[in-house]
Amino acid sequence: MKKSALTIIVLLLTLVILVGQTRKERKAMYDSQYNYELACLGVGNDGTKLLKVWGYGKKVDNAIYDAKRTSVAAVIFRGIPAGNGAAPTPSLLPVDGYEQHMDFFDEFFKDGGMYLSFVNLTTDGTPGGSDNIKMSHGYKVAVSASINFNELRKYLQDKGIIKRLDAGF
Amino acid sequence: MKKFLLTLFLSVISMLLFAQAKKPVIMIVPSDVFCVSHGYTMNVNANGKDQVLPDYKKCMQSSDEMRMVITKMGVIMADRGFPLKDLEQTLKSIDTQSAELAMLTSKGGAAVAETPIDVLKRTAKADIIMDIDFNVKRQGPSNYITFNLRGLDAYTNKQVAAAAGTGKPSSAANVDLLLEEAVLSHMDAFNGQLQNFFNDMFTNGREVALVIRVWDNAGVDLEQEFDVNGTNDQLDFHIENWLTANTVNGRFSTIDATATMLRFEQVRIPMMFNLNGREVAMDTRRYISNLSRYLAGPPFNIQCKIYQRGLGEAWLIIGEK
Repeated sequence: MKKSALTIIVLLLTLVILVGQTRKERKAMYDSQYNYELACLGVGNDGTKLLKVWGYGKKVDNAIYDAKRTSVAAVIFRGIPAGNGAAPTPSLLPVDGYEQHMDFFDEFFKDGGMYLSFVNLTTDGTPGGSDNIKMSHGYKVAVSASINFNELRKYLQDKGIIKRLDAGF
Repeated sequence: MKKFLLTLFLSVISMLLFAQAKKPVIMIVPSDVFCVSHGYTMNVNANGKDQVLPDYKKCMQSSDEMRMVITKMGVIMADRGFPLKDLEQTLKSIDTQSAELAMLTSKGGAAVAETPIDVLKRTAKADIIMDIDFNVKRQGPSNYITFNLRGLDAYTNKQVAAAAGTGKPSSAANVDLLLEEAVLSHMDAFNGQLQNFFNDMFTNGREVALVIRVWDNAGVDLEQEFDVNGTNDQLDFHIENWLTANTVNGRFSTIDATATMLRFEQVRIPMMFNLNGREVAMDTRRYISNLSRYLAGPPFNIQCKIYQRGLGEAWLIIGEK
């Protein structure tokens, strides 16, 4: 009897440790600036990109703002994967582009920052169903976003963050 | 004082203008596959051999879809700072030249033989050819587009950028809309690769091919030995040593080496060079003229003829001009 009770305790402790590690890992993933969750929705109009982006926040509104920021950041640092008949779009900067231009991007992505000029939401109202997931400490929300890709590229070129295709010629 | 400042300002401006590499000329050309599969071809008899070759003029006059795709891509490339050399206008220019060529015959009565792509490359002088091919396919009631775009470096014939894929089937959208969608879908990836190619060019130099040949009355061949600063070696090794010193990071490949011919490929020439204190753009002809000057000096004292063959290849024929 004592032996089986000990086995159960050991099993429970193992489970608790495992769950604890998973939470830690998950928190690190949510907090990471490299965590972009997005999918391509198809070919946008001339100069625009259509994306579905997920954001996190304590409230649904915060999660939507996080998704907006993520959509622009992903276009700049990650690129857009292929999907729904659209070819992949390469990132505007290499993956360490943020570290190379930290001051510029801290200002660009601050609350209410310039990044908002390049993103339009196509989702009306609060997302529902599988696009609005209640989690233990907030919400995970998916929104459809249209990124003004050409204008974003030109803005970053004008600011000297990325090179023009004809730079040097 | 004002005059001095104005002179200084103009000097700075002119130096800035000169400190630009030569901008590559880009042109879109329908692929052979597209021309042949749509019947835009012509039959040419070359040396007794019948050949089917693409007829670009017929393609541009007959295919609305190709014209639309080229126009759309032209708009995108112009927005990125590369207005495209127009194929249709180039073909008209070729017609004028063709009339002149038709009048040109050898003493024996032979005409000048060139394939259409030779003529096109010669006239257009396009550094990069965007070779385009697409197909409208059907899946049940829906149409979809397969799209294949290749960027070919005319200097080396290497593929430097590419975008290919299949669009989403649609029964509602017309073919023109699907083609526009295909162009919009692929051009950013294509331009991303083109950017990498340009970055590589600025870092590692322009890739060209050089050929050294010998006139049969030269009185010298590439195996003749010369003493350069105490190093006694064959002429071909001295030429290789010069290339090592004058290419970006000493990068080149010796493809063939005989007593009468040397062929170098993947020769990375610098993008710029200093001319009387100014940075000016380097090209293959200018680069090989430096080698010609080196060989004209002691201990070689060899006169050479420079012959430019295409954009990215130059020949140096040693012995006389």
